[in-house]
Amino acid sequence: MSGDIRLMREFIATAVLLLLLALLPLLTRDVYWLGVLVVSAYFAILASSWNLLAGFTGQFSLAPAAFAMIGAYGAALSSAYYNVPPIAGLIIGSGVAGLIGLVLGRIVMRLKGPYLALTTLSFAEIARLVASNSINITRGDLGLPLEPWFNDRVVWFYVFLGALAFIIGGLYLLLRSKAGLFLEAIRDDEIAAARSGVRIVFWKTAAFAISSAAAGFAGALYAYFASLVTPELGLVQQTGLVVSMTVIGGMGSLIGPVVGAFLVYVTSEWLRDVGGWQLVIFAALVIVFARLFRTGLWGLVTAALATRRQRPA
Amino acid sequence: MRYVSHLAIAAFTLSASLAGNANAADPIKVGVTVTQSPPGSVVQGTQVKDGLEVVAKMLNDQGGVNGRPIELVIEDTQGLPEKARAGVEKLITRDKVVAIVGEHQSSNVLAGMEVAHRYHIPYINTNGWADAIREKGYPEMFNPNNYNRRVAMAAADSIKKLGAKKVVAFAENTDYGIGLAKGIGEQLKAVAPEISYRFDTLDRAAKDYLPAILPLRADPPDVVVDVMLPPAAYIMMNQVYEQGIAPSAKTWFYDASGLADYPDFWQNVKEAGKGLLVFGLYHPKMQAPALAKTVGDAYTAKTGAQPNRLLYQAADSLLVLADALKRANSTDPGALVKALEETKYTGTRGEITFSKEAGYKNHQWLDIPYVTFQVTEIGQKVADTPLVEQPGQPLDPSKLARP
Amino acid sequence: MLTGALAADLAVNGLVTGLFYGLMAIGLALIFGVLRIVNFAHGEFYMVGAYAYTIVAARLGVPLVVALPFAFLFGAALGWVVERTLMRPLYANIGSWGLMRDEYAVIVTFGLSLLLVNLVDKAIGPYAFRAPALVSASRIVVGPALMSGQKVAAAGVTLAVLALIALFLRFSYWGRAVRAVSQNRLGASLAGIDATAVSSLVFSLAGGLAALAGALLSPIINASPDVGAFPAIKSYVIVVLGGMGSIPGAFIASLLLGLVESFGAVLVSYQYRDTFGLVLLILFLLFRPQGLFGERGREV
Repeated sequence: MSGDIRLMREFIATAVLLLLLALLPLLTRDVYWLGVLVVSAYFAILASSWNLLAGFTGQFSLAPAAFAMIGAYGAALSSAYYNVPPIAGLIIGSGVAGLIGLVLGRIVMRLKGPYLALTTLSFAEIARLVASNSINITRGDLGLPLEPWFNDRVVWFYVFLGALAFIIGGLYLLLRSKAGLFLEAIRDDEIAAARSGVRIVFWKTAAFAISSAAAGFAGALYAYFASLVTPELGLVQQTGLVVSMTVIGGMGSLIGPVVGAFLVYVTSEWLRDVGGWQLVIFAALVIVFARLFRTGLWGLVTAALATRRQRPA
Repeated sequence: MRYVSHLAIAAFTLSASLAGNANAADPIKVGVTVTQSPPGSVVQGTQVKDGLEVVAKMLNDQGGVNGRPIELVIEDTQGLPEKARAGVEKLITRDKVVAIVGEHQSSNVLAGMEVAHRYHIPYINTNGWADAIREKGYPEMFNPNNYNRRVAMAAADSIKKLGAKKVVAFAENTDYGIGLAKGIGEQLKAVAPEISYRFDTLDRAAKDYLPAILPLRADPPDVVVDVMLPPAAYIMMNQVYEQGIAPSAKTWFYDASGLADYPDFWQNVKEAGKGLLVFGLYHPKMQAPALAKTVGDAYTAKTGAQPNRLLYQAADSLLVLADALKRANSTDPGALVKALEETKYTGTRGEITFSKEAGYKNHQWLDIPYVTFQVTEIGQKVADTPLVEQPGQPLDPSKLARP
Repeated sequence: MLTGALAADLAVNGLVTGLFYGLMAIGLALIFGVLRIVNFAHGEFYMVGAYAYTIVAARLGVPLVVALPFAFLFGAALGWVVERTLMRPLYANIGSWGLMRDEYAVIVTFGLSLLLVNLVDKAIGPYAFRAPALVSASRIVVGPALMSGQKVAAAGVTLAVLALIALFLRFSYWGRAVRAVSQNRLGASLAGIDATAVSSLVFSLAGGLAALAGALLSPIINASPDVGAFPAIKSYVIVVLGGMGSIPGAFIASLLLGLVESFGAVLVSYQYRDTFGLVLLILFLLFRPQGLFGERGREV
């Protein structure tokens, strides 16, 4: 199956999933569960942004949560100190995150594998420590409050769903174009790609910048939803969640992170009452999928459908 | 034959349960947010939770409130403000609680009270000391517990009576630590401007504070003040002792966080605890109403542990709420808030009223009783320590044991 | 104000801290030398060792001279299991990751780290445990500095173990096999050395050493599920600074880091003490990726 058709199938599947989710408020107005779905959507955006960098370009950054935190603080600080309206806060948040991502991406360009992971991890920890210790500016662990944007939970649900659709749509257009080919070429064999004339520097840095901007956007939106920004947003555990969701859902596919995010987070909340072993299970799943099913749940589903189709009638 | 009897049993059970429901009174749900897992203070959370459960049982054994049993719905915040916010929201929207009680960490109170304010549900602050909580002036907030300004005044007063000239405080990097450390500085400047005071902020997640402590070896102060919570506080205290700084012949150690009554205190702090001066909100030898003994005994029977201040703060939180429910004779939030404002109730620590002034006094019980005691032996139970200061008995340094 | 007395104090404390970092980081350096990966679950071996020692000594009342080696063996056993089940795809060409072996290693060890932390958190409980000290003196004089008895004892054990490792690597058959595989895996196996066995050995040894470090420090830094995070980050910094795969480099870098953090905390900033190492790591990876003692030309 050619890459284009595969990508289009993933896009259609994602669109269908989002449409189904959009119908949910007709069935339930439960504020609590809608809230769970909102946070799942936040993770879906974050996981999709990480997937662009890691799944499609092969750059395994361990900093997605840090960029979300940067975006959140961008929005919160501009709102608290300069009273900017929410739309501006969103733009500032994603902009700052994207810019820092651009610089970081340029700096770590030549690093691969564990070296890239270590550097981005160090960056993430430094960012979190700075946010946590700059108590005069960010109020540290106490958190920075923001004026909430909308008060209705159902409105927030659709806002997040819309934002997710926007990001997925953007990613689809990007990956369908030549850019997608270049990024995957870099992922699969960077030296061969360079020799074929792909501008490695430009595309790797661009992937980093776009991914970070999207992560910052997710963080900024979440900041307005939660009305409180704390450094806890940037904890390595949060990155762990994002990585788990993407690996389980299916790295390198458009729909994988979305499926992974909703599945993992909703199950996690649902199981919370039951005893809390869900994190253990998800971590084990990550290991199992990495070891045995690299293409994740989505890969399993498409493989199963493919064999079904090939069975003689 | 068997089919018929099964049907009969089913019908009987169904009708019995329906009848049961018709007879049982609807419980009054009270929302509780506490820390039950790290990185927050699980010890504090458990003391509060146990205290609330003891009082809830007492109330229910006496027939409940307005004829209805109290049901506690408990959310674990892990000590994280975001989880506290989410927990309060879940309690109010999903569990439909009549009020929120139990929170023991200031940053969590600040996060949770925003939600309570949005839904106009009463929030009884069990152990959030931060002045910022009161200064917001939310009508739903009620504070029958200690406040930072009180500790600051007490600490400054004790330090002045000790005759200190140079004071160094170690504060944790939270609103509690920094707020209290700053407050102590302000009070000292007001009552004893000749005392030189400075504080160092330490990361509560770090495991080693030597770099901050070592410089004191060359230039030891007269008093070292602790404004940290466990487990970081224990590490700091051990290292301050290990380096020969305090408690010592030259330097007092004043524990403004009142850690000596924590259940894991002696397990973690050994010789470093001897000679410690402790700010306390509770001491077995202090004057207290009769209700305190009842609640304390019930607590010891349930947990096997000695009563502590968090128990009494938690108890008073729930008792004050129950009292307001009785006087309002309703669970309507607006009526509850009004009833709470008119509170004049003798709980486990004294007569509780809420001030109507603004600022740090808003809805605050101003005359929280406090004591100072000194630990004189390693492993000493709080009950055996000498009480060196309580309301009506000022601190006298000549009566203190010198290490 | 840096007086001579304070400087001496900081130096001694910094070196002792560096020793502990070294015990922790040597294992990671060995893993990197032989398997060419960074083990993101390294901190969890430290945590497992801390728990093994604490539970066995405090709960079961086993004598400390037995509890300590037990912790080491427990970590080593865990390392062996992990290597056999999860690390084989790195060199045995099984699994579907092909050219992305590095990425596989990152994800799988990251997942392992999450698994161990949450497993311990759920199975044993999130509260910190207090372990019995090897030596109960509160305060012992060491040159110009004062330190707790436990620290002195732990430092002594650490020095002994590090010396043993050095001798092992230098003079024993397997030690030389480790060095050979570390230099050139293909060449070593052509020369008849079982590279897979060496990988197993190294992973187990690293696990055991990290666990031992956790056990030794558990009376000072109580065991809790997330206790492994901070020694892990220090280890990453040290391995990069020393030169990926260089054992003597790792040792020197450990001592250096201990000193830098100790002096930096007093002279530069106490709050940002933990960021010095991280900044150094980033700078080295960018400008001197072979570290202080690694070989040039190692592809990064």
